[in-house]
Amino acid sequence: MSVIVRIAVEHATKRYSAGSVTVFEGLELAVRDREAVCILGPSGCGKTTLLRCMHGLVGLDAGRIAIDGSSVTSPRRNVAMVFQHFGLMPWMRVRENVGYGLALAGTPRATLDERVSRYTDMVGLNGFERAYPYQLSGGMQQRVGLARALSMEPEILLMDEPFGSLDAQTREILQDELLHIYQGHPRTMVFITHSIEEAIAIGDRIVVLSARPARVREIMTVDIPRPRTVASVVAHPRFVELRDHCWRLLRERAVA
Amino acid sequence: MTIREAQATAASAVVARRRAGRLHLSDWAVRLGSVALVLGLWEFAGPRLNPLILRPPSAIFRAFFELVGTGELQEAFGQSLREFAAGMAIALVAGILIGVASGRNRFIYNAIDPIVGALYSTPSVALVPLISVAFGRAAMGDEPRIATVALFAIFPILINTQQGVRNVDQSLLEVARAFSSSERRLWTDVILPSATPFVLAGVRLAIGRGLIGMIVAEFLIGLVGLGYLIIAYENVFRIDRMFVPVVVVSAMGILLMSFVQWIEGRVAPWLRREQ
Repeated sequence: MSVIVRIAVEHATKRYSAGSVTVFEGLELAVRDREAVCILGPSGCGKTTLLRCMHGLVGLDAGRIAIDGSSVTSPRRNVAMVFQHFGLMPWMRVRENVGYGLALAGTPRATLDERVSRYTDMVGLNGFERAYPYQLSGGMQQRVGLARALSMEPEILLMDEPFGSLDAQTREILQDELLHIYQGHPRTMVFITHSIEEAIAIGDRIVVLSARPARVREIMTVDIPRPRTVASVVAHPRFVELRDHCWRLLRERAVA
Repeated sequence: MTIREAQATAASAVVARRRAGRLHLSDWAVRLGSVALVLGLWEFAGPRLNPLILRPPSAIFRAFFELVGTGELQEAFGQSLREFAAGMAIALVAGILIGVASGRNRFIYNAIDPIVGALYSTPSVALVPLISVAFGRAAMGDEPRIATVALFAIFPILINTQQGVRNVDQSLLEVARAFSSSERRLWTDVILPSATPFVLAGVRLAIGRGLIGMIVAEFLIGLVGLGYLIIAYENVFRIDRMFVPVVVVSAMGILLMSFVQWIEGRVAPWLRREQ
């Protein structure tokens, strides 16, 4: 059985501050079709930078990142991103925020309206279409961010610590909803997180990065069957082993 | 130079407006009571202290109708309003255009910032004689006074617009890029909406300064309008009549600023946050 690679990170190197800070160097990674890959690493290790490079928001200093075989130079419409800071336009209502990407893509009015309604419902925001972001809680704001990305019906979803700034309870609810959405329609997903539990719950595979300059410490397969919920993952016997293993990998590096 | 200052004024204006939007009945009672107290003291104690200068509000009220009766007030008001409107229009158009251009373009910003800084730091009043001379003593049209209003009003608009454009949330610019926004849509979706509250705060500051420019120009460049009325009745010691144009200018300021505040609520409803 041949494996289709959607995102190929080939010997990617990124430096900051005129080359004096190396964020990552010679990074190799392949994300397969319809696979959920979680990238786990200590804070400040360059996870977010890697994701931004994958989307073509920032360029590499060496190596390349290819999506479907062609080098990424700028954001593509079949790739959508969810931001840690939500990135909602404060002057747009929920509807307009959800439809933002579609409007930029020149989507016809009827299709846009239909998709906005569908994805607003999917993330449980029906009734809030006319609200402004400031009227919503953090969790609801990120639902808007998620709906905005999903409404593009992207083949690839890039998630930059999307639940990192939410309280524990809200985070778990959104993790469950993301699992539900993903399992109902699996698509290629790269999910950045610094939470081991989250990485195990969401990912098919977990890529553990070291501290800066980031290297791939290990790639592990999460052999917990889908459909999952956060509760079912935590209750699974493999969960504790995977968590301890991730812990050791992250801690070794932190102490070293 | 005045970047921080402009930001602070913009921010405090926004904060003040928000607070003003949440006045309770008890707040209004205190406000009305305070005004009534001052007017009452003025009315009854004023003439006892100095009957010539501290003319009571009732006398000013009577003088208002006298001046309306002779038509003097309407004529002067019309004259002043024309100057003010023309000067503000120039300040708005030029201030916003230069502000946007310099906010977005580093070259233009560096080119104009020292000049804007120097002119804004100079008390504008000191430049009024220069305007008068520049337009020529012979030309006694409204042009030099319009130019004075524009000079007084342009800087808060220009600097606030510039700061509004420069302060666009970088993360929102990245979101726009992530969704493949065109440059034009970047302006209409992100930069202009985010700069709007700054621009409007600048306009409100500009109204106050523009009114000062209007009166100063009428004092110093060919006595006309409400400024002329103030000087004319001061010279004949009709302090009650002198106060009438003063009250009119103050009412203009209050009305125009509330108008801009109302516009702000219309075009920037997302600023009506409760917490």
